Order: sequence, then structure tokens, then C-alpha cells
Amino acid sequence: MKTLKKAVVMFMAIMLLIPSLAMAHEGETHDKPTSKTPAADLRAGLDQLLSEHFVLATTAMIKDYNDAEDADEVYKKLDQNAKDMTPVIASIYGEEAAAKFEDIFLGHNDYTPDFVEAKVNNDKEARQAAEAEVDEFVNQFSSFLAKATEGNLPQEKAAKVLAAHEQDVINVFDYYVAGEYKKAYEAFREGFDRMFTISKALSSAIVTQMPEKFEGTKAVTPAADLRSQLNSLAAEHFALAVLGMQKGYNQAEDYDFVTWAENMNTQDFTKAIESIYGAEAASQFQKIWQKNHIQAQGQLVTATLENDKEARMAAEQSLQTFAETLGEFLGKATGGNLPADAATNALWAHEEDVIQTFDHYVAGDYQATYESFRDGYGFMFGVGEKLSDAIVKQMPDKFSTEQMPSDMPKTGMGGTATNSLWTWAAFGALVLISGGFMIRKKAQQ
Amino acid sequence: MKWRTYFTIVGLGALLLAGYNSNVWANFTSPYDPTADTATSDNKKQEASDLSLKSEEFTLVDESGDIKEVNFETDKPDTSSGIVPTNLKIPSLDIDEPVSKVGILDSGQMGVPKDDKTVGWFEPGTKPGNTGNAVMAGHVDNQSGPAVFFYLDDLQKGDEVIVTNEEGKELTFVVQKLESYPRNDAPIEKVFGKTNKKRLNLITCTGNFNYDKGTHEERLVVYTELKSSLDKEQPKEDADYEIKAPTHVEVNGTFITWHAVRVDGVAGYRVYRSEDGENFKKVASISEHERKTYTDPEASKYTYYVTTVYLDGTESEPSKPTKAE
Repeated sequence: MKTLKKAVVMFMAIMLLIPSLAMAHEGETHDKPTSKTPAADLRAGLDQLLSEHFVLATTAMIKDYNDAEDADEVYKKLDQNAKDMTPVIASIYGEEAAAKFEDIFLGHNDYTPDFVEAKVNNDKEARQAAEAEVDEFVNQFSSFLAKATEGNLPQEKAAKVLAAHEQDVINVFDYYVAGEYKKAYEAFREGFDRMFTISKALSSAIVTQMPEKFEGTKAVTPAADLRSQLNSLAAEHFALAVLGMQKGYNQAEDYDFVTWAENMNTQDFTKAIESIYGAEAASQFQKIWQKNHIQAQGQLVTATLENDKEARMAAEQSLQTFAETLGEFLGKATGGNLPADAATNALWAHEEDVIQTFDHYVAGDYQATYESFRDGYGFMFGVGEKLSDAIVKQMPDKFSTEQMPSDMPKTGMGGTATNSLWTWAAFGALVLISGGFMIRKKAQQ
Repeated sequence: MKWRTYFTIVGLGALLLAGYNSNVWANFTSPYDPTADTATSDNKKQEASDLSLKSEEFTLVDESGDIKEVNFETDKPDTSSGIVPTNLKIPSLDIDEPVSKVGILDSGQMGVPKDDKTVGWFEPGTKPGNTGNAVMAGHVDNQSGPAVFFYLDDLQKGDEVIVTNEEGKELTFVVQKLESYPRNDAPIEKVFGKTNKKRLNLITCTGNFNYDKGTHEERLVVYTELKSSLDKEQPKEDADYEIKAPTHVEVNGTFITWHAVRVDGVAGYRVYRSEDGENFKKVASISEHERKTYTDPEASKYTYYVTTVYLDGTESEPSKPTKAE
């Protein structure tokens, strides 16, 4: 399973780096809608890196604030995530731009601990200084993006969305520190969602700027939207599952609020399924999703706390059952476009990620915890890709794009029809007059 | 026509009367039907024992990571400090009298001492000083004048009641409250039933004497608690926890979720559900450290509430009932 996952990750990386090579079948993409286009791949890659950035940033701040043992490891992974963006930028804009990007982006990660420190020391000046640095980052990075995309992503728009993102991160932290956990997780969900808006805008700008590199495919199509939506739901689920299990294990005060956020994620997932397969299927999905899955992950935590090996086995068994039942459900739902076996295998691989991440955490091996977290997080984007692909293949009509040219056709030959309204009016008048003339003629006869 | 109506009414009336005479309505109308009474009190008992913390209902994980199953019924009650009382002293009433054992009479009533100076300790029940309700009864008067508990209703909260055993071991109880109940309608469960406190309850007659029935109309119960355990419990009750029901009870798909009550001394939660929104049945017990979620595939059909259960077995009021939106 692990090797398959590695393969998926590698495959995605390659697709991101050289989109034009990976998708070299010309024309085919225009015939049938698909969520696997070079442009959609770019968007999905940005979905992953940007949303992971958000999750790691908020997690790191809270862990740091709590003086948690694993805080340093989360900070490390936050920087690793930024470094993973560099090759993507390099593949599009070259090494020099990529270096500049890394400089700006890694620098902005450094402000994260500044906020925590300011809060811990209750130092208002330090807080203001950190805020000022964030403002500077927003300006710097938005102008970088505007310049790189040659204005396809206007600086103003970029600055606005970046500032909103920074505010999301700060909101999660501030609410958490104030003990307003409901608001903290609302802010988390909103902020998480915003990352997908950012990747949508950014990928769209890049693709518009370099249509040839992406073979004329678009980052924003119904199929690519579905893929991104499933990416978001699946990845948020994974992030919350890992976070929730940690909080449950620590009996943290905000445990019930993470589980609340998980329930909201379930609700959104159910709605997404409903929009594709209807209410009955959606309610079926929800039952499967909650019973042997979300609840079983909770039971796994309980079993660990109680040191109850039998309960642990039972919880793992439930997760296996979940992989089988949801795999079967998806196989049926997609009319076999996503074979049940493949779905079950992928789902179980995901559960293994969840279990592993948790076990490493319990064992106090935080490096392994967050490596497994990053693997598992990335894996969800493979799930989004495969599932969206199957659904789009199953219902091509639902996801077909109107073939839209970028320009209006040049259908005039000269200047004769420059004022077509008057031409038509004149024609109409002529018809009327001639009609009247004919009637009169008839009457005269 | 009119005659027919007339006969119908008269006929019905006759039937009712006949029924009344042959006593067929008694079962429906009499609230004091003896069989019905025992049935309900049996039910109550059943309920009470269902609701008390059964062994392994909740699992506790303390901070050191040690795990213990909770079995409050056998673990918790302290049966080590109780004594067999032979003397009762109430300094504020100048009472200092011997105590004898009494049991249950054939009629089902608690027995009373033969003479009006002696106090009767209900021997089948709890020993004074143990966890539970120990009970003593004494006469208020006799045909000619006052008896041992004549001034019992003068007791005030905080007064001391001292019980001694043969070896001279002394236990001091402190008056908590005085309550009077109608002769037929005293809360037996409250006076004699289970409690997590170490109580001694004194009973005597009060109210007007009913010559027809040969007894007083009311019973006075003085509830007292062991002084040494009060000293220990007082701060705990005041500071450590208040009895709070869980909040944010929600139905999300097949999940019933709520927020933990974050105070010390919570053992877990009980989930109740109802089809009609009125009659609730307990469906689950969730330990404090578990995910605050109960899964019910049919969740959309029911209304739920959740209660908090404390380590001493106390259960909170129900949360706000909730159902799927």
C-alpha cells in the first residue's frame, strides 16, 4: 500500500513539474470532460500545498502556545511544506523566481512563532510588530504574484485574499487562546476553505497566462471544481481526524469542538454526495461515514486511553468494515468507474495513515507523527483525483463544459454590416412596405 | 324518539351505578389501591437500581493513566464506621435515652419501641455512621402525656444528635432539616432508601391525633448527617462541582453529540431517547474520556437528552431535549 501511495505522490509531483509532458494527448481532453487535465492538476497541487500550509500553521501556533512537545516538529513540517512549493514555482517561472518565492514565503512562516510569543508574554508591542510584518508579507507576496502572473492575478486581488488568509490564521489562534473554541474551529473551517479559493484564483491566473504549457486546458471547469471540492472535503476530514484523536488522547478542552468541526465536515461531504447522487444515497453515505469510521476513530482513542487491546482490535475491525462498505458504496455509486476494490484499498490506506499518525503520536515519536501526517494528508488528494475522475466519467453530461473560445469569431468580411440593427430595421420596413404594396396591388386588380 | 334517548341515558346511568356497587371501578379510581401501590414502588426500586452506577457503566482514566472500572454500589458505601446504637443523646432537647432494635411489622410498617421512653433503631436498615439512611423512631406522646420525641420538632438545623454503642463509641450527627409528611404519603425511598451520605433520620408522629385511625395525621422526619463526613464533604460540594447538565446536545446525521461538562468529578454521561418526546429511555452510557458521541442509525426518528453523572452517582437534570433538524 505504501509503495502505491509513494507512487501516487511521485506521480503528482511529476505532473506538477512537467504538466505538458504528462498530458501529451492532444485534443482528447476536449472530447470528454475530465478532472485530470494539466490545469486541474496544477490547481490540485496548489490545493494541497496551500491548505496544508494553513493546517500546519494553525496547529503549530496552538501547540507552541501550549508548550506541547511536538510543536517544534510541526514548525519543521511547516517549513518543509513551503520548500515543497518551490519546485512547483520553478517549473512555471524558473529558478530565479522560485528562489525569490521561497525567500518571501519561508520568511512569512517566521512570523508565526512571533504571534505566539507576543501572546505568551502578553506583549502588545511585539504583537503589533508581528502584525506589521504580516502586512509587509501581504504586500510583498501579492506584488510577486501579480508580477509573476503578468497581472493575470492582479495585485489588489492577491493582497486582499492573502490578508484574509493571514487573518484566518490569527483568528484561529486568538479564539483558541481566549477559550472560544467554537469560534476557533469556525475560523479554522473558514480559513481552510479559503486556501482552496486562493489555489483556484492562482491556478486560473497561471493557466490563463500560459495556455500552451497547460495544453489549453482550464483550471476552472465543472470537473476541476468537483476534484477540488472533494480534495477539500477529504483533506479537511484527515486533518480533523488526526487533530481530534490527539485532542481526545490528551483529553484537551477543545476536544468536543474538533469533533463538532468533524461533524460539520461530514455534513458538507454528505451535501456534496447529495448534489451528485441524490438524498437517499447521501443519507446512506452519511451512515457509513459516521458509524464504523468517525465513531471508530473515537473508539480507537478510548481503547488506547483504557489500554484495552480487545477494544483496539474491535476499532480497527470497524475501520476495515468502513473501508469495505464505503468502497462498495462508491463502486456502486460510480457505476464501477471507481472499482469497489480499488476504493476499499484506498480507504484502508487512508485509515492506516490515521492509525499510524496517532500511534506515533502516542509513542511520542513526533517526527514520525508528522511525516505520516504529511503522507496521509497528501494521500487525500489522490482520493479527490480518483473519485472525481470516476464521477466525471460516469456523468460526462453533468460535467461537460461549453466549449468556449477565448475570442469572438471574426465573421464579417468588410464594413457593410457595421450597423446591423439599422440594416435589419430597413429590411423590416422594406418587407412591410412591399407587403402593403402587394396588398394594395391586389386590391387594385 | 325521546323515549329512546331517555332509556339510553337511564340505562347507562343504571350500568354505572351497578358498577359502582359491585366495585368494578375501584381499580380505576382508587389511588391507594394496595396492589397498584406495591407495583409502582417496585418499579421505582427497579428504576432506582438501574439508575445507580452499576459496575462498569463508566470507565475512569485518571491522570496517571491508571484505569479502574467504577462500581459505586459496592465500592463506595462505607460500612466500616457504623455502630449498633444503644443510646441516643440530643443535648439541645435534654434527651438521653436508650435505643432498642425494631424491625418490620407484619403490616409492613416499621416497628416501634414498646415503651415511650426508648428510641427504636430500624435494625434491618443501615447502621448509624455507615453510608446510607439509618433510621430511628420514637413516640411523641402517650395517652397521658409527652414521650421521648415530644419536643423533636423544636430541633433546628445545626443541632447535634449523639449516638453511642455498647462500647461507648460516640458518633455525632448534625441536623440538616425537618420535614413533615402526611401519614400515608411519606417518601419512604428518601427516608429509608439509598444515599451516598451518612445519614441518621429520626421519625416521630406529629399533627392532630386521628381517633378513628388511632394515630397522628402526620409524620415528622428529622434528617441529620454524620458530622465528620460533613466536614469533609462540605467544601467538595460547594467548590468542586455543581450539578450541570451537558450543553450543545445536537443530532448530526446518525450522531448525537454534546459538550463535556468540564468540572471535576464527572464519571460520564447518559443518553436518553424518546419516540414521542415524553417518555425517555436510557440508551447509552458514555465515559468521561470518550468522544462525546452516541451513534444511532435511526437518530432522525427520536428526541434525545443527555445527563451528566458524577462520581458519587449523582445524575444531573436532563439537558435540553434535541432532535434532528
